[in-house]
Amino acid sequence: MAREESGPILQFAPFQSSVDEGFWHRLSSLKLNKFGIDDSPIPITGFYAPCSHSQVSNHLTLLAESLPSDSNEESSAETIARGNRNRCSVPGILYNSNTWESFLALDKHSLLKAEAEKIWDDIHTGKAVENCAALSRFLLISFADLKKWTFHYWFAFPALVLDPPATLVDLKPASQFFTLQEAESVSGACNEWRNSSATADVPFFLVSLSSDSRATVRHLKDWEICQGDGEKLLFAFYDPCHLPSHPGWPLRNFLALICSRWNLQRVQFLCYRENRGFADLGLSLVGEALITVPQEWRDRQFAPNAVGWELNKGRKLPRSINLAKSMDPTRLAISAA
Amino acid sequence: MVLSQKLHEAFKGTVERITGPRTVSAFKEKGVLSVSEFILAGDNLVSKCPTWSWESGEPSKRKSYLPAEKQYLITRNVPCLRRAASVEEEYEAAGGEILLDNEDNDGWLATHGKPKDKNDVEENLPSMESVEISKNKTVKAIPSYFGGDDEEDIPDMADYEEADNVIETDAATLQPTYLVANEPDDDNILRTRTYDVSITYDKYYQTPRVWLTGYDESRMLLQPELVLEDVSQDHAHKTVTIEDHPHLPGKHASVHPCRHGAVMKKIIDVLMSRGVEPEVDKYLFLFLKFVASVIPTIEYDYTMDFDLGSSSN
Repeated sequence: MAREESGPILQFAPFQSSVDEGFWHRLSSLKLNKFGIDDSPIPITGFYAPCSHSQVSNHLTLLAESLPSDSNEESSAETIARGNRNRCSVPGILYNSNTWESFLALDKHSLLKAEAEKIWDDIHTGKAVENCAALSRFLLISFADLKKWTFHYWFAFPALVLDPPATLVDLKPASQFFTLQEAESVSGACNEWRNSSATADVPFFLVSLSSDSRATVRHLKDWEICQGDGEKLLFAFYDPCHLPSHPGWPLRNFLALICSRWNLQRVQFLCYRENRGFADLGLSLVGEALITVPQEWRDRQFAPNAVGWELNKGRKLPRSINLAKSMDPTRLAISAA
Repeated sequence: MVLSQKLHEAFKGTVERITGPRTVSAFKEKGVLSVSEFILAGDNLVSKCPTWSWESGEPSKRKSYLPAEKQYLITRNVPCLRRAASVEEEYEAAGGEILLDNEDNDGWLATHGKPKDKNDVEENLPSMESVEISKNKTVKAIPSYFGGDDEEDIPDMADYEEADNVIETDAATLQPTYLVANEPDDDNILRTRTYDVSITYDKYYQTPRVWLTGYDESRMLLQPELVLEDVSQDHAHKTVTIEDHPHLPGKHASVHPCRHGAVMKKIIDVLMSRGVEPEVDKYLFLFLKFVASVIPTIEYDYTMDFDLGSSSN
């Protein structure tokens, strides 16, 4: 596999999780009032947005709305739970164990593999082109210790592993990649995409640049239309990562989609980032990656290896949070006295 | 919570229940907002500063006088790179930013730093852009909820550290930098906290009200008491209190709105005295600029700039 331009391995900054207190409150209420000891997996929704500050990455956030409603009357909650520009919905699944022992006994390897296979299937059926947020599908395992108001949990952001890994030809701030005229047009087109409620929460898209420096932002399904015409084409995604040196995690499965669906070996990508809610091409990155598509990837039955369990302060541990202060009725009574 | 605070909450709740929401504008006269003016100003904030959005919150806590999808405003993941408590010791905070001095001296807008020796100030003036945190003894390691000392029953997670075969080593995964640094609890780590800042409508005071939910650098929820480290020390424990959020579960730090109307009235008066006609849809920009004096290191967005000149009087 001798490649002449073999550059450094393209490394991705892992997704980070963040759970709002409201999520645990609603999970407790669902557990007590609805699920009981039923521990079958629950579909949940995570939210993320492009990085919007040069020093802080964005996260995959879980809110109360990530879970099904805990009230019995089905309200118009669905329309409200829909994403907006600051919260693009990502599908996820929650395995909530009944006991600490069963939490520990969960087969993390198989669970991750199962989610990765869903991504793989979506790539092969073309579903991932229509509903691209499914590329960032995630997994959460938890044990809600309701006697102590303690929640133990562990996130995974499954990523299909390219073997050999993609290599990086070039990576620089988008402002250095584009000409001034192009940059202006790209910013304008991206801002328009972000401001339209129809596209604001579509995290993967195409940016095509015509020879007269005009940029157009399109849906992934329009890839064929963008061929020919000598247009420059970039594969763009909402990048939660703030680092100037690395793209964020969502690019991994995006590259897997690009190389297996469109059979490309040289991919130009745009890590779309914002400042104060507007396109920031100084913070955004443009990169070029070389991919060697493994032969087995043509075979849908083949399931690529996957990684993605989140580390806890660099260690392979679940996280825990104790909410007795806001949930324990005795403590609440004392603090209210 | 102190008893007087509790009593006041009960009183306030009753008044809120039996009085209707404000419908007549008293923005210029009293510095307060009617419900529809709050929506107007909120819509303007969301359109000019898109990191803010309207949310509906807990369905059970929804206020009937506000539209279901516009219950409160929120901006998430706002960086707070330094502790206000430690910044204040280092430099004369935001002296030029303070618009109004309160003659009664009851605390709202007093500048929150004391001038030090000039050369000292010059040298130590920290750049707000800088991530580098100076080693300040007053900054404590950031405890999270995990492993709180009164929770002796939490199993020691270290016993469950997974063997290498569960999480594959992968050449394409960027390793977090603090792996090569010291232990996370060490003093060397980045003190970047992040905040979710929300604005609710307080029906009793007829003003917006700001709430803070803090997260430590590994995105674990901060206890509200620790949030006070990011509040100007003149306000911590006095005007910033820890209370139930009107739309979200849990206890959150909040800037108490009892003086908001009076302060906003003063700001509006200053504007008018300069011949600027204040527009009610810009209320939240003025309001957030003023709130920045209470939480100087939390970098939320209120981009719109106003020419308010230098300090009054």
